[in-house]
Amino acid sequence: MSLLEIVAAGIAIAGGVIFVAGIVAILIALQRRPYGVEMAPIKGSPGRGVFWSFTLGMAPWAKASARLHWMAYLRGVILHLSIFAGAAYLIATPWLGVMPGPLRLSLTVLFAIGAVMGLAGFGIRLANPTMRLLSVPDDYFALALVTLFLASGAMSAYSVAYLPFFWVVAGITLAYAPFGKLKHFLYFFYARIFLGLVFGRKNVLE
Amino acid sequence: MAEEARQEIKADQKINLEGLLCPIPVVRVSQAVKNLAVGGILEATATDPGVLADIPAWARSTGNEVIAMNRDGKIITFFVKRLK
Amino acid sequence: METITVEEQNKTALAREMMEKLVDRRVLTALEVCVRCGTCAESCHYYQSDPKTEHTPYYRAEQVRRVYRQFMDPVGQAFPGWFGAKPTTDEALSRLAEIAFSSCTLCHRCTFECPFGVETAEIMRVMRSVATACGYGPEMLVEIANAAIAKEENADLFRDIFLDQVKELEKEVQDKLGSSEARIPVNQKGARLLYVPLAGAHTIVPQAIIFNIARESWTLSMFDTANYAVFLGDITKAKRIAQRIIKEAEALEVQEVIITECGHGYTAMRWDAPKWFGHPLPFKVRNIIEVIDDYIRDGVLPVNPATNGEPVTYHDSCNLGRKGGLLEEPRRVLRAVVGDFREMTPNRLHSYCCGGGSGLVAVPEWKDIRMQAGKLKADQIRQTGAKTVVTSCDNCRFQIGELSQYYDLGVEVTSVSELTAKALV
Ligand code: SF4
Ligand code: SF4
Repeated sequence: MSLLEIVAAGIAIAGGVIFVAGIVAILIALQRRPYGVEMAPIKGSPGRGVFWSFTLGMAPWAKASARLHWMAYLRGVILHLSIFAGAAYLIATPWLGVMPGPLRLSLTVLFAIGAVMGLAGFGIRLANPTMRLLSVPDDYFALALVTLFLASGAMSAYSVAYLPFFWVVAGITLAYAPFGKLKHFLYFFYARIFLGLVFGRKNVLE
Repeated sequence: MAEEARQEIKADQKINLEGLLCPIPVVRVSQAVKNLAVGGILEATATDPGVLADIPAWARSTGNEVIAMNRDGKIITFFVKRLK
Repeated sequence: METITVEEQNKTALAREMMEKLVDRRVLTALEVCVRCGTCAESCHYYQSDPKTEHTPYYRAEQVRRVYRQFMDPVGQAFPGWFGAKPTTDEALSRLAEIAFSSCTLCHRCTFECPFGVETAEIMRVMRSVATACGYGPEMLVEIANAAIAKEENADLFRDIFLDQVKELEKEVQDKLGSSEARIPVNQKGARLLYVPLAGAHTIVPQAIIFNIARESWTLSMFDTANYAVFLGDITKAKRIAQRIIKEAEALEVQEVIITECGHGYTAMRWDAPKWFGHPLPFKVRNIIEVIDDYIRDGVLPVNPATNGEPVTYHDSCNLGRKGGLLEEPRRVLRAVVGDFREMTPNRLHSYCCGGGSGLVAVPEWKDIRMQAGKLKADQIRQTGAKTVVTSCDNCRFQIGELSQYYDLGVEVTSVSELTAKALV
């Protein structure tokens, strides 16, 4: 390992540690909030509600909004899939040398498309007057970080020479994630679970 | 309420709440009373029997006074005096 | 530099304290998860009727979120500009109150269109509570809630009025049924059901007819189910108002409390009250529609749908339907008692609010807002070609009645119970 690689790997690992610590802090803070336990007899099933919440409740065909904003929806799906793949790839990068060529090429393409979707996010955010008005610096910074994360991921999958660059970007992204809007990935699960629990027990989910 | 008594009360404003359902009579009465001077009297007619209890309850909690209430068939007539 | 008065400081402190208390896990999640993607815009009836920034769900929620960032979020406090934390002035609070009370009916529709399920309605509900605590609750809502409490405090005074009223209505029921045996029982200890109406006769007479035909063991509540403190987000008062009925039900030892067709009244008693009190209620809570649905299923109500031959459509009250859980029951009853039933689109879980929910109908100054926001509902109603709109909530009923005048729909608005009573043979 070169010095550059060691420093970059150090940044990535430090980012990872901050990330984990940040997530734990968020979870503790969330757990500390009161939670009004439902006392009314149930009508439906909270469990089935949660299942619905992560399946049909997220199906684009079940939402008029997804049909209406299908481009934004599709963009979001691709962006998030490539981010998940990017996270898995990050863990696998120490073994990048033994990764099969076709896989690396596919990842390069996926991350590159993801990065383009990230870039498109700026366009969408700036073009819509309401979104522009409501966006805060955090929105743009977070978008820039994930775009860069995917772009550097694509570069490193294409050529090992860019790996230190990817590690540095990944480290910064990880370190920032618990502070800004990127933390929505964690709250996402809570939001869907609460939705399923609350409305599942009322038996209104279709 | 005897007819003479009713004639004695001079209303400063009259409103018709016939056909309106809860809580709209209360809303309209409250609005109208706020437009009266203190001491002013509002006369209202309504058909929803809910007003029989709701208007006095509202008057009690807002510190106004229902000075008379009368029911003639379906029509309920009442007078509210603004006290505050 | 802007000067901040002591009063203003106190209000801000109170707002902060309230928010600290009320932001539970669900609300915190709703506050943190939104990514400002804009997908929810069209899901709101306000936006559909007048598409502008202020009418998007995420605009509203964002206004509250910025206060939250300042009050409760350490990261927002450290970097306010970066995360959009906003200092809270008196003026800002009063504007937030205006938004929470007049520009969101807490209908929860947007939640189901958002990819995350952000509960904007819950955020706004908390904002209503904060605003009410700081003295920004709409005066009319406060007056109505206080009047409900005054009724209980002076129960002895109102008992005679109530009994007189019941006698009159009982006569009406007897006339309609052609039987002097028909009764509107009150204070019947040991009755199976305690039926809680609204103030209007339309929530007593048709139901009494139905109970009499079904030979039900029931008794009429002295109170009504409306609980305007719910709209204010004033849980202390909401509990007091609900407590009147709970005490009555306990004293009469009934098995079930049956709430009339009142969206918020039903949801408050069925779902929220047990949470407020921290224990399940000692009786079952159902809606009159569920009771009628059972009667029809069991064949104890002889109904003839031909009696209601005109085309009829059903408007789902957000509180009774999406938030209350009664989506199929009213439809089953309507199919049994109506000849030509037509659905609005979308309906059930995805039904749009009529524009009058969560107390908006009670604030006269907001009539224009209501009429504007109800345009979508008016269009939907027109599309069905129905002559009668059924809704299971008096707030919706009043709003749709006004929409009918405003948009010249020429429809009559009624309830499931009334149509059922009409269809009895
Ligand atoms: S509430 Fe949901 S749909 Fe609306 S902007 Fe936020 S995340 Fe997007
Ligand atoms: S809860 Fe209803 S009124 Fe409020 S923002 Fe969402 S859709 Fe609009």
